[in-house]
Amino acid sequence: MEPDVISFRNIHKRRRTKTIGPIDMSIPSGYIVALVGPNGSGKSTLLNMIMQTVFPDEGEISWFGQAYPDGLPVSVRQQIGFVPEQLSLEEKNLTVDEAAAFRSIWYDNWDGYLFDELLSRFDVPRGVRLTKMSKGERRKFEIAAAMAPRPKLLILDEPSSGLDPFAWKLMIEQLHKCMRTADTSILLSTHIVDEIRRLADYVVLMHHGKQLGMVEKDSLLDNWKECWVAQDAAILQDLPGIVSSRQESAGTISFITTECLEVERILHSAGIGFIQTRSLELDEVLGLWIDGYSPAGMRK
Amino acid sequence: MRIPIQINENSAEPLYHQIETQLRSLIISGQIEEGTLLPSIREFAGNLNCSVITVRRVYQDLENEGLLRTRQGTGTFVAGVGAEEREQYKKKEVVEALTAAIEKGLAVKLEQHELIQLFNEIVQKKYQPKGDV
Repeated sequence: MEPDVISFRNIHKRRRTKTIGPIDMSIPSGYIVALVGPNGSGKSTLLNMIMQTVFPDEGEISWFGQAYPDGLPVSVRQQIGFVPEQLSLEEKNLTVDEAAAFRSIWYDNWDGYLFDELLSRFDVPRGVRLTKMSKGERRKFEIAAAMAPRPKLLILDEPSSGLDPFAWKLMIEQLHKCMRTADTSILLSTHIVDEIRRLADYVVLMHHGKQLGMVEKDSLLDNWKECWVAQDAAILQDLPGIVSSRQESAGTISFITTECLEVERILHSAGIGFIQTRSLELDEVLGLWIDGYSPAGMRK
Repeated sequence: MRIPIQINENSAEPLYHQIETQLRSLIISGQIEEGTLLPSIREFAGNLNCSVITVRRVYQDLENEGLLRTRQGTGTFVAGVGAEEREQYKKKEVVEALTAAIEKGLAVKLEQHELIQLFNEIVQKKYQPKGDV
């Protein structure tokens, strides 16, 4: 087993208006983890802590199995590619080529060919100063630059904001490609349901500075369902994870469950079949999860 | 190669089970030939919009059944399926379909003799040479 790429232990950060923590979470190696949650839930702060642009008040963070309380050495930083939500101002008067030349100083493993390929795929103009670019072009440059050193860990803070649908699709493809060909892990924060669906292996939910858990994405899709059965309400007492229910007609009831696999097992052994089932949309799932309904099969 | 698998997200059947059942049937029916290199776990997961955890589970299950083999560094291949195994599988599929049909009959409280009569009628109809009706 490879060590977790990142692990948070009992992390706290107190700010004037809000508090983050306690956060205990590990990002396993070789997976794509989607960090989701409402605005202001602490996602960016968490990602910035990994980059050590924000420091926790309490607790310990490990990178690739090791803690660096005295600052991340360059050799570790070189293995991390980062696309921040707030793009830096320092490079704004540089052209794409100048900015790339500057960044490649810091990354021994910078792959200029890959960078060129990504830029031309993303159709980013090269001679233009970063400040003159559109928001989407700048974002595409940042993504290409984060991927160019073929990092072991790619951290993307809302990478798709500002991207048009074509660029978005290209980004998804490139992220898939980089997961196929290299030993990479990705941690990304996102509000885009389709992005979670297309990319994530695991989903981590943040709310009010707390981490509500980490769960396999497919387990969410398998377990959070709306079901119709030819029964009356009495059956609900024997079923786990019931969120809500409705008597549809005299002999038919519909209900939402967070544990459809177990519900199916129980009904099947009682000889009862579903009339119909429907997967909840991920945004419905996340909404209910925030409301306090925990998913089955949470990862500890 | 692209593997023709259709996922029904609304089904109560778990994703890994849907993928596993369809992949198994493609291999045993010979639609994916012996020796075919399957997509990498990440690639397959990307095509199906599911997680690598799910695809890994499918590959492992089918490897344990002897339908797939993994060569370190090269990937996952379709293993040979014996003629006998293929026959057995065909039979098993038919038994499953018939069982489902009979359960449906039970669910609407059909008597045994009614069910048998319906069965015979359908067999008659389907096995009759065309133009002979």
